[in-house]
Amino acid sequence: MKLKEYEKLVDKHSKKENKLLNFFISFLFGGIIGVLGELFVVFLEKKFYLPLSEAYMYLMIFLVVFGSILTGTGYFDKVVSFAKAGLIVPTTGFAHTMTSCAMDHAEEGPVKGIGSNIFKMTGCVILYGLVSAFFLALLKGVIK
Amino acid sequence: MIYINAFILCGLICALGQLLLDNTNLTPGHLNAILVVIGAFLSFLGLYEVMLDWAGAGASVPITNFGHLLFKGAYEGFLSDGFTGLLKGILSTSSGGLSVAIIMAFLVAIFSKPKH
Repeated sequence: MKLKEYEKLVDKHSKKENKLLNFFISFLFGGIIGVLGELFVVFLEKKFYLPLSEAYMYLMIFLVVFGSILTGTGYFDKVVSFAKAGLIVPTTGFAHTMTSCAMDHAEEGPVKGIGSNIFKMTGCVILYGLVSAFFLALLKGVIK
Repeated sequence: MIYINAFILCGLICALGQLLLDNTNLTPGHLNAILVVIGAFLSFLGLYEVMLDWAGAGASVPITNFGHLLFKGAYEGFLSDGFTGLLKGILSTSSGGLSVAIIMAFLVAIFSKPKH
């Protein structure tokens, strides 16, 4: 079979995803998570009298723990299959990427498996985040 | 109403992420990296503080916030202590989230079996 015919066959049988629908679904779920986060921050401020920056830190920690546990129990992929990017773009997605990389290689042992694979995908996030923040901060500091 | 603002802003960032996922062949990990760099850049322009004031946690929930925290720590360190402060401060504000992410990933990987 030629490559073009094969591609046509694949095209015919692969599911067409509705991009507009995906857009609105991720908007909806992302928005809901944003509102829940705001409720959580207000709750921390009112109940525990935390300053705003610490409330934001606990919000990030809560999202990370939530994402990790969802990944560990295997529900993350099920939720993502209908919430789309509404759960990937919040910090839960970061925790999911890190946890799933670690989990996939857990059976190879704690050092060679988890140790060498835990930053496989999130290394990208930390590397470019850190490098860009470093140079941008240096630039802004020197300009001022 | 800050809740509506949070809904709109967080929803918009997620929807933009979905657009990128649908129209390119990026994986979620790479999408997160792009968003973190965008967050650091918005913070560089001074827009992220405005977004945080306008939408509260709506700007704090997406992963762009991680880039903002990295930039904020580095810049505030630079203002207070020069180059030494930059090096000391770059991870200071985001330390909580990053540490917990690593610890949770480790614990979950140890105590759960992947389902194939």
